[in-house]
Amino acid sequence: MDHTSYPHSVSFGDGNVNCNNITNSNNTVNVNKIIADENPEIMRWLSPLDPRRRHQDVRIDRLDGVGNWLLETSEFQGWRRSEGGAGGAVLFCYGDPGVGKTYLR
Amino acid sequence: MAGNLSSLVIDTLCDEPCEEEIAIAMFYCDFRDKEEQTTINVMGAILKQLLVRGEVLEHVQKAFQKAKKEVGGRGLRLPDMVQMLKQAVATLPKVFICIDALDECLPKNLLELLGSIKDILGESPRMRIFVTGRPQVEAEIIRVFTSVTIPISPKAHDIKRYLEKKLEMDTEQYAMSDCLRADILRVIPERISGM
Repeated sequence: MDHTSYPHSVSFGDGNVNCNNITNSNNTVNVNKIIADENPEIMRWLSPLDPRRRHQDVRIDRLDGVGNWLLETSEFQGWRRSEGGAGGAVLFCYGDPGVGKTYLR
Repeated sequence: MAGNLSSLVIDTLCDEPCEEEIAIAMFYCDFRDKEEQTTINVMGAILKQLLVRGEVLEHVQKAFQKAKKEVGGRGLRLPDMVQMLKQAVATLPKVFICIDALDECLPKNLLELLGSIKDILGESPRMRIFVTGRPQVEAEIIRVFTSVTIPISPKAHDIKRYLEKKLEMDTEQYAMSDCLRADILRVIPERISGM
């Protein structure tokens, strides 16, 4: 199913730097285009919560470069490439408040 | 503001081209909304973000129409929600779910939430879950998943970046000297990160 058949899809973010379409040779899924955004009744039925708004707030305040160490770890890279089957499905980053998980921005 | 690491991971997944199609769903737990952030509402919010393909939406639409006909209209239960999520995740080639600050959800919801995710993962082992939280939720996570864990400690580089930004934003620039600035950027990151 080609998402372009849903012209009223809504994307989020500032439309500027992130959340581009992820493409491969013949099909495209825009990770943030939710085709049901034009079905508000169904969206409300599923949940009153909309985490995309929060994501936008958080990312606007984020400092470039902060947290990049995580992306370079072998754990993250392996997780992202889906190594380790079901046993490697969950990546848990833990820390006390203030160590960078939460308050560094 | 919470959630920086999670938002970085989400943006990274969004930005960097992947060999296969991916769909990303996120959730930021927040103790201020903990009453509303029930397991079913959280799972529903995740499912909403996975409605990126016609066949996934059609399935949900059918369930919605069916629920509307039933007495009381809306009786969506957690097993129904999990079932719809299973179907959505199985339909999409690759799904990433990022959940921030798991410790901020109510304890009674935590195991239920993790159990629901495990249930979905059982049918779609290629799904990938990124979770952040305080150390005390590690025990719960280990009870449910065999997960890979990364401890987060203060990083001198990150603290320096943060201080630089704060110093730039300082409204009383006249009180700052190059010498003092250099001292702040040297001493504080060293002390906090213990390097």
